[in-house]
Amino acid sequence: MSQTTAEKAHTSLPEHRVPRKKSFLSRLARQWDIQLMVWPGILLIFVFAYLPMYGVLIGFMDYSIFTGARIWENPWVGFKHFQDFFNAPEFLTIMRNTLAISLLKFIIGFPAPIFLAIMLNEVRHMMFKRVVQTITYLPYFISWVIVAGFATSLLSTDNGSINILLEKLGAIDEPINFLSRPEYFWSILVTSNVWKDIGFNSIIFLAAIAGIDQHMYEAADIDGASKFRQVFSITIPTIMPVIIIFMILAIGSLLSAGFEDILLLAVNPLLRDVSDVIDTYVYRIGLANFRYSYAAAIGLFRSVVGVILLVFANYLARRTGNSLW
Amino acid sequence: MLYLVAAILVLSTVLAGCGKSNSGNGNTPATTAPPAATDNGAESTEAPDDGKWSLGDPLSFTMYSHYNGSDFPVWESTPAGKWLSENKDVKIKMITANGAADQKLASMISSDDLPDVIWADKNHPIMEKLIQEGKVIAYDEYLDKYPNLKTWMGDNLNMLRSEDGKLYKFPNWYSGNPSGNAGYVINKKIYEELGSPKLETTDDLYNYLVQVKEKYDGKIIPFEPHRAVDSQGLGVLYTAFGEGMDAQYTFLHQSVRAVPKGDKLTSLYTDPVFRESAKYISKLFREKLIDQDAFTHTQDMVKEKVLNGRVAVFAGASPTDYAAEAHREMIKNDPNSGYFMIWPIRKEGLDKNKIYPGTYTTLGWNASYISASAENPEEIFAFLDWFTGPEGQNLIFFGPEGQYWDGFDENGMPNFTDAYDQDAVTKTELDNVPITINGNTGYINPAKMKYQTQVPVEEQDWLSRYQSSITWKTQFDVTQFINLDPPTDSDLGIIKTKLDDLHLKVYADVMTNSKSDEDVDKILDKAEADAQKIGYDKLLEFRTQKWQENVKLINSQK
Amino acid sequence: MIRLSFNDRLMMYFIYAFLILLSVTSFYPFWNAAVISFNMGSDTAMGGITFWPRAFTLENYQLILKDSRLFNGFFISITRTIVGTISAVFMTSLLAYGMSKSHLIGRKYYTIYFIITMYFGGGLIPVYLLVRSLGLMNSFLVYIIPGLISVWNMIVFRTFFKSLPVGLEESAQIDGSSNWGIYFRIVLPLSGPVIATLGLFTAISHWNDWFIPTIYINNDNLLPIQTMLRQALNSNIIQESSGALDSASLAYLQKTRSITSKSLQMAMMMVVTLPIMLVYPFVQKYFVKGVMIGSLKE
Repeated sequence: MSQTTAEKAHTSLPEHRVPRKKSFLSRLARQWDIQLMVWPGILLIFVFAYLPMYGVLIGFMDYSIFTGARIWENPWVGFKHFQDFFNAPEFLTIMRNTLAISLLKFIIGFPAPIFLAIMLNEVRHMMFKRVVQTITYLPYFISWVIVAGFATSLLSTDNGSINILLEKLGAIDEPINFLSRPEYFWSILVTSNVWKDIGFNSIIFLAAIAGIDQHMYEAADIDGASKFRQVFSITIPTIMPVIIIFMILAIGSLLSAGFEDILLLAVNPLLRDVSDVIDTYVYRIGLANFRYSYAAAIGLFRSVVGVILLVFANYLARRTGNSLW
Repeated sequence: MLYLVAAILVLSTVLAGCGKSNSGNGNTPATTAPPAATDNGAESTEAPDDGKWSLGDPLSFTMYSHYNGSDFPVWESTPAGKWLSENKDVKIKMITANGAADQKLASMISSDDLPDVIWADKNHPIMEKLIQEGKVIAYDEYLDKYPNLKTWMGDNLNMLRSEDGKLYKFPNWYSGNPSGNAGYVINKKIYEELGSPKLETTDDLYNYLVQVKEKYDGKIIPFEPHRAVDSQGLGVLYTAFGEGMDAQYTFLHQSVRAVPKGDKLTSLYTDPVFRESAKYISKLFREKLIDQDAFTHTQDMVKEKVLNGRVAVFAGASPTDYAAEAHREMIKNDPNSGYFMIWPIRKEGLDKNKIYPGTYTTLGWNASYISASAENPEEIFAFLDWFTGPEGQNLIFFGPEGQYWDGFDENGMPNFTDAYDQDAVTKTELDNVPITINGNTGYINPAKMKYQTQVPVEEQDWLSRYQSSITWKTQFDVTQFINLDPPTDSDLGIIKTKLDDLHLKVYADVMTNSKSDEDVDKILDKAEADAQKIGYDKLLEFRTQKWQENVKLINSQK
Repeated sequence: MIRLSFNDRLMMYFIYAFLILLSVTSFYPFWNAAVISFNMGSDTAMGGITFWPRAFTLENYQLILKDSRLFNGFFISITRTIVGTISAVFMTSLLAYGMSKSHLIGRKYYTIYFIITMYFGGGLIPVYLLVRSLGLMNSFLVYIIPGLISVWNMIVFRTFFKSLPVGLEESAQIDGSSNWGIYFRIVLPLSGPVIATLGLFTAISHWNDWFIPTIYINNDNLLPIQTMLRQALNSNIIQESSGALDSASLAYLQKTRSITSKSLQMAMMMVVTLPIMLVYPFVQKYFVKGVMIGSLKE
């Protein structure tokens, strides 16, 4: 519905130009109250997000932090840092790890909270439901330092509970050094992540489900549909818009595969080949060495890819009627 | 409800005002120092002979420790800091990084708003940049006026000078005497139960570990190397295979990663001594004679194993920390248990007096830098200088004068009082560790020993006993190997980072995954090839050059 | 009560089993942390503490509560969270409501304008310099103003507002209500679950934030408890491979890193985390049925 003044001017005939322009301005004036709702936000974002936006140029320079905001004092190097990144021997490994870990976290970690929310919704016992809701949301608040400490203990070969359990069950003869074997790392990482965030992430879906009209369920009961059926025909379709919006947003951050969790769990250097992702690489190579521009370039690369993915996901979603724009 | 909201908004506005009026003071506390400070001619632009700063003159400044893993605690929360703050009006406001050191320092640099003192690795690349940009004060003009540093450090001070010949770094733990605690700690009870066998050579050690495994399978860890990702016990074992400069703990470190042969630094991976040690260690791993979690466990987990007496042999850069604590607790229940240390393990045939499990430098590893924007650099230096002198050191290690020590004897050593309580003294030292901005081991080690030698062996502090009898005699001076790193954003710097990545992987691989001695050779051959591809020899060339420059400088002091 | 089919019973058993398993595994680390916090630090280092303290003590909590900075920290944290959340939720939802109006001129462009900022940003240094130049350094307002608009939250709010039946607003307009009036008197009250949820998220992120104070605040009076916790936990945060060249310095670094006993760390964690965790149960009651979100659009 919105058209710029320029467009308006082009599509109008010369004799009608003046009234048309007035019409646009007057339309604008008439909705001053909702524009007023929007403009403070626009201004705030302008100040805090767009004013510093010149920082995206840092990736194209050899930036020295001593120049602060006076970035014009820094030499321009064009795409050099990007090339360095793409040509780095670790590039393919990092990208593979980033995408693999991210996808795994998404495939398992995205539906999990939804299922939890649905399951909780089916529970009739109110007390049980509230207790479970509260408890499952606790791990989100435990820092990764503690969670990783727990995991390291559990998985250790010396008195680690998992190994003891497996040996008792007769499944293995010797303890397995889980955190030293590349083949286990992704599973350990994803499992701990899902466990940690499932309760918290289910909140938004719980809120969505809470808004479903109860009458629909009652009608379905009368029609003889089983609860199991009802989940699929009522619950899920009704919260689908919420699911889709979140899915779009999640796809946009596909290149953010994690940081603190990986850093703390992938202590053994033997895991480097499967654990190194963009964030850990930047931390190690970029920031710790004050290669600020290099880090910035990689960050920019990630943003660009993220936007492309976002647009693509949004385009797909628009077909279902739910999209960001 | 709306009233509540309104009340809160009003409150926050007040807070906002509060914060802002404080910000004037918060950023530069030096300016809030009472006028008395200026009476002492604190302005560095004035001629120094306007009067010296001495302890008791009010002083306040900000200080920042550039580490992701530790910050200075609140000054007054430590015994020394509290005493100095309350009695001598020395107030230090700590700026903390809370784990985000790189970001914090970058922010401060970008806005040219640096703390008065930065405490960082003495070769930290960012500090070198700060020096180049003129953001750091040189100490040269203060050295004679406040002479403790110069006196106690002697000519070694010159090794700290920067390219322009000026001194910008106040070292943190310097000394002409060996210091360090690296070595082998043995579990007494297990040792005696196995018949107290000879434990001198690597073969002895191997046999002993086999015995331990047979007898205690699973319950006791034969060899505990602490956190292998930090080298630690594995680095110590490496030194068993070479005398003197053939094998040193430091050669494995990222700033060296080479073995000196003659006057050249050569590849670690082709070095026969390193290879031999790798074969030995990988054998231990294969036969499960060494903690299988060496490369993954946390510090807490290591501490737990040692405290519970579940290790037979414990080695590391400072195994004494946990061992001393564990020993104290263990002998409470069973006087016959606990830990003791042995003379360093060596390969059969090597001279036992030439084996060094650990290393030290005469320059420490950190330095205090005073930033150019400090209001009172001279006074800060004067304080640092006092801190490093006998009085300051006594305060840190023994407590304030009058309590456990009073005055100095004819050798300049403290006179210990009858009230001296070793436990309290140890606790004081531990509590002051986080703010031991600088330490003068040339003074404090003999001072500590003075007390210990007055006391019969059984009452001697566990740590002191082994320090004086074993560890201080078996740490090697590696001062010549400092400062071998290229600037991080240069081509060589990038090579170094790649090499570090490679090394970590190779190290873990060769130690834990080798299936035989031939395997070790294969892995290390490939490592050498990969390293060469990255540019290892260029790095070695660079490092050789810097090393030789150090050697020349050191020799010229003699 | 309608008889459950076999499928249903199976489903319910599975659900209960899963929920119990998840709850137990979620609860245990937390319980363990609490137990450790009530245990003596020297004893905790020996390991093996699981379900109950072995050497019960209140010393860790006593040590913490004695620190007067703590109360100030709490005050700051609480004030920041309340003020920050209310103001952010208000500003963002207002923005979102305006954005939800399909006849808003410039809507598509505004949307793109906002979404770009979710992906592109100047980075730490430019933002820091900007905040500084606005005079927000060492000011309480640095906790509030930059966070007033969250694009992500705006999108969620907007989605919700769009799904409200048009009829509600139309009838209000017929009654002569202005857009602002509709917003305050009709839309907001109906937005219970969304406000509760996003308010909760905002509150949590305010409460948990330690980074902004680290970079922007040097004045101890304005530090929240989360930063203080971080200062205490610091010795364990990221055990980077040490920069120590020689074994003597590694030894020393090691010592400075494990000053705070695990028990004390856990006690601090409990003290800092408990308040925000207790907020959720209160918020739960806002997830009341009967309000439409994502329901079939008309």
